[in-house]
Amino acid sequence: MGVLKDLMQAVRGGANEVGEAIVDANAIRILEQEIRDAESAIASAKQSLTRMKSSEIRLKRDLSTLAADIADYEQKAISALNAGEEALAGEVAERIAELEGDRDDKAGEQEALNNEVNKIHAMIKARERTIQKNKRELDKVRTVQELQRATESVSRNFAATGSKGHRVSQALDRVKAKQQNWQDRMEAGEWLEGQEGVDDIDAKLKAKGIGTSGGSAGSDVLARLKARQSG
Amino acid sequence: MTLDELAFRLNDFNGEEGTTFDALVTEQDILEVTCSNNDEFPIHVTQTDTQILAVTPLFNISEVESGNVDELNAIFLRLSPAVPLSSIGLQGETYILFGAMALSTRFEVIAHELEVQAENTIDVLEAVEHLLA
Repeated sequence: MGVLKDLMQAVRGGANEVGEAIVDANAIRILEQEIRDAESAIASAKQSLTRMKSSEIRLKRDLSTLAADIADYEQKAISALNAGEEALAGEVAERIAELEGDRDDKAGEQEALNNEVNKIHAMIKARERTIQKNKRELDKVRTVQELQRATESVSRNFAATGSKGHRVSQALDRVKAKQQNWQDRMEAGEWLEGQEGVDDIDAKLKAKGIGTSGGSAGSDVLARLKARQSG
Repeated sequence: MTLDELAFRLNDFNGEEGTTFDALVTEQDILEVTCSNNDEFPIHVTQTDTQILAVTPLFNISEVESGNVDELNAIFLRLSPAVPLSSIGLQGETYILFGAMALSTRFEVIAHELEVQAENTIDVLEAVEHLLA
């Protein structure tokens, strides 16, 4: 099931008012139940796998014992034949045939068991996919719910302010004024830093006796005035 | 990281550009974050099983000048891909700016994302201010 489509249907159906449940609570319960079911199915499948694994180990051991027995009897049958004991060799051959029948049965059992194990592995994978898919769907639902929750309180305030007109513009103006203020302070700070630099230079120059020499200022002015008088 | 831990670290944060945060967890278990670069539009932070959601409610549909809603929607659709890290959406009757992060997101990245979202809010609102009542 696709939760997004349900969500849009709910919105079109008018379930978009603040506080209203956009997502059918039942749909969420179904998703959660499916996840729980899949998880418990996986748990019991894993138990069966453990049991099957021990059966498989037992079968493998039996099969290798049988193979060893068969090889042993074959060797003995050949020895009997070599010794001219045809009748005894026949009896051993009978025994070998019995063991081979046994071996084929067990081999069949093992194959069936392998098929079963493969099926269970495939089932677990399928269930795990279901769980992942449902969890993703649930997360979409939760996201919508959280978005709704996070939006709700503030949008109530939007409605409560009453004088809606220019609320956004006014807020923007305030923010921009603060930013401008901050910018101005930054510039003022930079200017001050620059001034301190200039003062430094002047002080250094003065210390070295370079630039304006305070003592000569008066005589300079007098000389200028005399020059104007004669001119 | 729980919302309480996130609040604690945000209040302690000092960004490269001098950005600071005021963060508090409300009674509704929502983390309300005010960024120093925009203290008029707080960001609401919540979590799901996999995501951190940062939501800035912008304005109600009723605050749009009548007849301008279609134009506003078209502008928002065009604008959204251009806005860094945040998307624009409609939650109920409220236009929102929102960002989503993985639960495993590092704190520094969360702080950066919130800083950018606060900045984006101003840019986005400036772009549509003329369409509001």
